[in-house]
Amino acid sequence: MTAPVVHVRGLTKIYRVHERATGLGATFRSLVKRTYKDVPAVSEIDFGIASGEVVGFLGPNGAGKTTTLKMLSGLLFPTSGEASVLGHVPWRREDRFLRRMTLLMGNRTQLVWDIPAADSFLVLKQIYDIGDAQYRETLDELTELLELGPLLHKPVRQLSLGERMKVEFAAGLLHRPEVVFLDEPTLGLDVSMQARIRTFIRELNRRSGGTILLTSHYMDDIVALCRRVIVIHHGRILYDGGLADLAERMAPYKLVGATLRDGALGRDLSAYGDVVSSENGVVRLRVPRAEAAERTARLVRDLESGLADLSVEDPPIEEVIDRVFSGEQVTDHPSSPELAEATR
Amino acid sequence: MHSVGRYLRIFGSFVSTEFQFELEYRTNFFMGIFEMLLVIGTSLGAVLVIFSHTGSLNGWSLPQMVALTGVYYLVQGLTNIVFAPSFERLMEHVRQGTLDFTLLKPASAQFLVSTRHLSLVRIVDLLMGVGVMAAGLVMLGNAVSPASLLVFLVTLVAGTACVYALLLTLVTFSFWFVRIENLLAIFWAFTDAGRFPIDVYPGWLRLTLATVVPIGIAVTVPAEAISGRLSLETLGLMLAGTVLSVGFSSWFWRRGLRSYTGASA
Amino acid sequence: MRLATYRALLVWQLQQAAQYRVQALLWMLFSIIRPIIFLAAWAAVATTQGGSVGGFSVGDFTTYFVCLTLVTHLTMAWNSHEFEFEIRQGRLSPKLLRPLHPLHYSIVENAVFKLTTIVPLSLVLLGVVLTFGARFDTQPYHLVLFVPSIILAAALAFVFTWVIATLAFWVTRMRTANTLFMRASFIFAGQIAPIALVPGWLQALSYALPFWYMLGAPTEILRGSTSLEASLLIIAAQAVWLAIAWVGFTFAWRAGLRQYSAVGA
Repeated sequence: MTAPVVHVRGLTKIYRVHERATGLGATFRSLVKRTYKDVPAVSEIDFGIASGEVVGFLGPNGAGKTTTLKMLSGLLFPTSGEASVLGHVPWRREDRFLRRMTLLMGNRTQLVWDIPAADSFLVLKQIYDIGDAQYRETLDELTELLELGPLLHKPVRQLSLGERMKVEFAAGLLHRPEVVFLDEPTLGLDVSMQARIRTFIRELNRRSGGTILLTSHYMDDIVALCRRVIVIHHGRILYDGGLADLAERMAPYKLVGATLRDGALGRDLSAYGDVVSSENGVVRLRVPRAEAAERTARLVRDLESGLADLSVEDPPIEEVIDRVFSGEQVTDHPSSPELAEATR
Repeated sequence: MHSVGRYLRIFGSFVSTEFQFELEYRTNFFMGIFEMLLVIGTSLGAVLVIFSHTGSLNGWSLPQMVALTGVYYLVQGLTNIVFAPSFERLMEHVRQGTLDFTLLKPASAQFLVSTRHLSLVRIVDLLMGVGVMAAGLVMLGNAVSPASLLVFLVTLVAGTACVYALLLTLVTFSFWFVRIENLLAIFWAFTDAGRFPIDVYPGWLRLTLATVVPIGIAVTVPAEAISGRLSLETLGLMLAGTVLSVGFSSWFWRRGLRSYTGASA
Repeated sequence: MRLATYRALLVWQLQQAAQYRVQALLWMLFSIIRPIIFLAAWAAVATTQGGSVGGFSVGDFTTYFVCLTLVTHLTMAWNSHEFEFEIRQGRLSPKLLRPLHPLHYSIVENAVFKLTTIVPLSLVLLGVVLTFGARFDTQPYHLVLFVPSIILAAALAFVFTWVIATLAFWVTRMRTANTLFMRASFIFAGQIAPIALVPGWLQALSYALPFWYMLGAPTEILRGSTSLEASLLIIAAQAVWLAIAWVGFTFAWRAGLRQYSAVGA
């Protein structure tokens, strides 16, 4: 069992924020004595990521995802705890570490606005000390994968948001990092561009075997790319494991949709499960997973010709996540001793 | 890893990209030359007006004043080619969070933020400054000895380093107070005082221009060196001041960076 | 133009001014620095020459440059810088859609700035006057005539800079125009020295061009160096120049708007 590429233990980040109430009196008081408030962004998180994994950090805004990523990329010092990425302590920002990793932030570009991306790439080539041959090879590959062609020689400000993101990706990958941190990579992009970026990330992982850690509040990103998801909320990890498992544990039910024919409208179906909605002749029921088959069979038998259509679905993943965030307990989670705290 | 050669290559790539960008805007280049001619011409005009009533300004003869005017624009040119543009952009970067990208690079953050953005068209300012300075020296008549040329170059570099140190310190404040344009604006307003030798000014202003806003010494001392008026004492003080200010500003920058990255004090 | 509208604009601008206190004070600083610099230079020359130069003692110079500072401040107008910025930021179009000429906003903004900074400035200048023993030759009629003169000067500077500002409708690089104006003002308006000390040909040009009437002329009136006839002539000349500038502005603005709507506002 090889050592994990990313190893995090007890990582904590508490921000000290100057607290100031409104009003003239408070303003004057704050000149003399400042009051501070400790805002915990990340509290005692532990996890490990193996080489080649694509892991998703899922959480609402302010959950602590970006803070965690900043600590792992060395941009932020933690308040306490330890982390190591590729064997380095990130916040020491050792050269060797910085050359082997990359952080890409959605909606933010490191490229200079007024010059073509290709020129910025040449600067990066120098900063990362990339040899000519390797640079050419990497650039060709990225151009092909991301369909960059004509985009490289136009000033960056003339590119659309989606094109800018693609070029930004290329810029971040020129030095062939072994670990890729992605912070909200599809933020602000339209649906088709989001899909293209996801395809690219998948392909990247497949070709390079590199480790990818991405944060997002878009479910689609996570579902498309990550087999493993870490759910973070209020700075704590609520869940760490397979996405499919999460659905099963968090939402151990299925959604049954019964379309009723005219004659059967108004029938009370609460005997078969919890009625979630009933409109336009379609009744939606929540049925415990284990009993889904049996109850559906009973429903079909009892309604006979009164049933026009029937569907049985897994709950939408958003609902699952919502339940996690609203603090409902995740059963059987191996390392979550104080989940009750998360319901605060 | 941190070899001078590598940093020179990085700087070279900054120059090359900027050059290509500026080449596209040839009108800007020629307009810049025209503006500089205007500015230097009128400044020299002011000097001539003053000297139409006197043969010396606090002991400085006309040729020496012309040389000093040249040095004034030379130093401005130097500052405006390299770090002034970068520092102006740094405040934007801090505000928009794009400074993070600089910190992710395997190179000295101080170097990168100081040299990232250049304004090559200012080389014209520099060259004109040199031209005016040369004219002043020609007017002086004495040949410039290799020794004074060397001392001149040393004091020029030292003076520019002092200005750099001050700007770096001011810009570092943007880690704590995001809007520091006002601080920089104060600095730029004071630079106007570099057009005259600082011994002309009343004590408090002279001190300010030698320490807090070092444009005074950055111009006066090299001007003294090239026109043969430099005393050893001044030279020594200036070199000491340079070492101290550069040392302080680098330390302060590192402190600012630590604060930005949330390292507890 | 309803008075009520003006009052509303005034209040709105005053509220904004509260936010930009620091910036306003800084701009105030700018208008002080250059006069101090030239005062120091002339004082040095005067001292070397036994106390006076061309009939001006150190006290006279102090008077001149203190008055110049006050006048500079009261006639300040930044329209040629701001307008181009507004166009680029897309802030002009909304203004054009309202039934209020954009000029009014800028008048109010200008007035409020001066209103809010005149007190601190006067205090500083008073301090200078008392410390350095400035000598005033001001008679009552000077004070009386100073009022129309300064108003005309401020209006002239305001309209003139607006004419320059309209160039922004056609030209992207306003820097050159601004540099031209600022350097012309530097040479001709009396920033270097009282007009009596300036060589004959330069004096003639200064009397002929509008720049001196924006700055140097009211300064001379304030410090009492002009006769009654001369003061009245100055005021007449200011009025003429203002008329010319105003006509120029109306043409430029109309033409500029046509251009602006042609390229798509």
